[in-house]
Amino acid sequence: MSHGHEFESPVDLHGRPVPAGHPLRWASVTIAVASLFLLVTNAVSISAWIEEQTPGPIQAKVAAVAGSWLASTEALGTATPRAALHKQWKAAQAVRFESEAKAPDQR
Amino acid sequence: MLFPTLTFGLFFLVVYTLVWSTGRHNEWRKILLLVASWIFYGAWDWRFVTLLIGSAFLNWGLARLIDRFDPEEDAPHRKSLMIIGVIANLSILGFFKYFDFFIGELAPIVTAWGFARDLPLLQIVLPIGISFFTFQGMSYMIDVWRGRVKAASLLDITLLMSFFPHLVAGPIVRASHLIPQFRETPKVNRGMMAMALLLIVWGLFKKAVIASELATRLVDPVFFDPSAYGSLDLLFAAYGYAVQIYCDFSAYSDMAIGLAALLGYRFPRNFEQPYRAASLQEFWRRWHMSLSSWLRDYLYIGLGGNRGGLMFLCRNLMITMLLGGIWHGAKWTFLIWGGLHGVVLAAERIWRDVKPEGWPMLPRWIGIFITFHIVVLGWIFFRSESFDGAISYIAGIASWGGTATMITPLGLALVVLGLEMHFMPPQIMPALALRLRRIPAPAMGLLVGMAILLIDSMRYEGVAPFIYYQF
Repeated sequence: MSHGHEFESPVDLHGRPVPAGHPLRWASVTIAVASLFLLVTNAVSISAWIEEQTPGPIQAKVAAVAGSWLASTEALGTATPRAALHKQWKAAQAVRFESEAKAPDQR
Repeated sequence: MLFPTLTFGLFFLVVYTLVWSTGRHNEWRKILLLVASWIFYGAWDWRFVTLLIGSAFLNWGLARLIDRFDPEEDAPHRKSLMIIGVIANLSILGFFKYFDFFIGELAPIVTAWGFARDLPLLQIVLPIGISFFTFQGMSYMIDVWRGRVKAASLLDITLLMSFFPHLVAGPIVRASHLIPQFRETPKVNRGMMAMALLLIVWGLFKKAVIASELATRLVDPVFFDPSAYGSLDLLFAAYGYAVQIYCDFSAYSDMAIGLAALLGYRFPRNFEQPYRAASLQEFWRRWHMSLSSWLRDYLYIGLGGNRGGLMFLCRNLMITMLLGGIWHGAKWTFLIWGGLHGVVLAAERIWRDVKPEGWPMLPRWIGIFITFHIVVLGWIFFRSESFDGAISYIAGIASWGGTATMITPLGLALVVLGLEMHFMPPQIMPALALRLRRIPAPAMGLLVGMAILLIDSMRYEGVAPFIYYQF
């Protein structure tokens, strides 16, 4: 029960440092861009999350804003990729092996 | 507050912004992290934040007292304080985790002896992550007693035990590893940040897609009523659970390591492709490494380790694994799971000693196959609600009958993917991170956003708690 590198961290990479750019700024911009991207393309999840929160006047107002934002992204077409991917995933979930699909009454 | 939720995402964005805005003010940074950790824990149940703080005070105070005594001249005092600390920690853990179990088990015995009394079941709520933070505090105090670490400040110890990335499901980060990091303003590099983002996205995929899909559509229904399914379904669901628990738990560890790294701290790895192990001993070097090394350093070695001959070593292995089993919870099935691992570990060790010279070694792939199936057998006990349930599950597989109704192409693909990821070169992730760190931040942001969008479109509705939250 012993291991030589059990306390090594996987985030310590053995490579030459990248000279350009401050790492924190790089990570912060990455996170900001990813967040904005998801805000524009994944409004359906944001709206669903707000709907799940405890009902109240603030929640109702935020839900209304999220709802109109969702409608805007749908009108712009930025919600389409997520909807298409989700549809594909649902189709993959529904696929059965041939023998099973042919004889559901035998189960 | 679960990692793969928008609630946690927003919480983390606020914490990330505030923490890095403290600049070089390391003490303020730690105070912010501590408050954030208490908010994170309090989101589940505020009452137990006091337990967390109390536990930190206990271990900090005892370690300070131990440190005051001279290791040479006052060794008995130091040892007494350490023993008091271990008893106090185990009492807290025992009360919350095992009190109702022991009372429940004691009741029939007491009744059989003619004392027909209702014993007081307290219906105790188990504080999330109590096993993890208790072990962390206890190991710090023991390390101070052993002279391996210096007694640390109250702020550092409280943060060590409360730090939200590892708080509820590990990895168990030792004081010797994290306290030195707390003492300095963190330094990061692009590779560390790229790897952190990669680990978070990879963990999100393993949890939200593989583990959730397998749990809801395969494992949960089959384990709920094994008698309703044929042997192929039972076998497939057992494999499915092996993949689910790996993807669930390693996902939490990956995300914890990634989140901590984004805040500037390095956690040790917790998993290393465990199902490619060719022996159970190797499995435990790859599975939940922070717990197995904890059990080795603070229990197995404490019991004498391998210093007293083969039978003594086997006894210590059995005790360690049985206690490791019961650490997971107050259930006989966990004890049997630990016992099974203990027996096989002992058998492997005995075989290594008695194997006649010149006998050929098993090919590695056969070792992997056998080890994996022993681990799966253990998982059946681990996952089943009761001992009888586990036995009927295994009997169902052995009966080899019935039709397969639960195996779908998607389920099969996910199980294969979950096993296949154990046989990929381990350098893939670091190599990818080394490449990603050279990408401009906006492009990296788009890549991360697209990956999360893809995962979110595949995720099961709602997020189930991580399996290890209950421990």
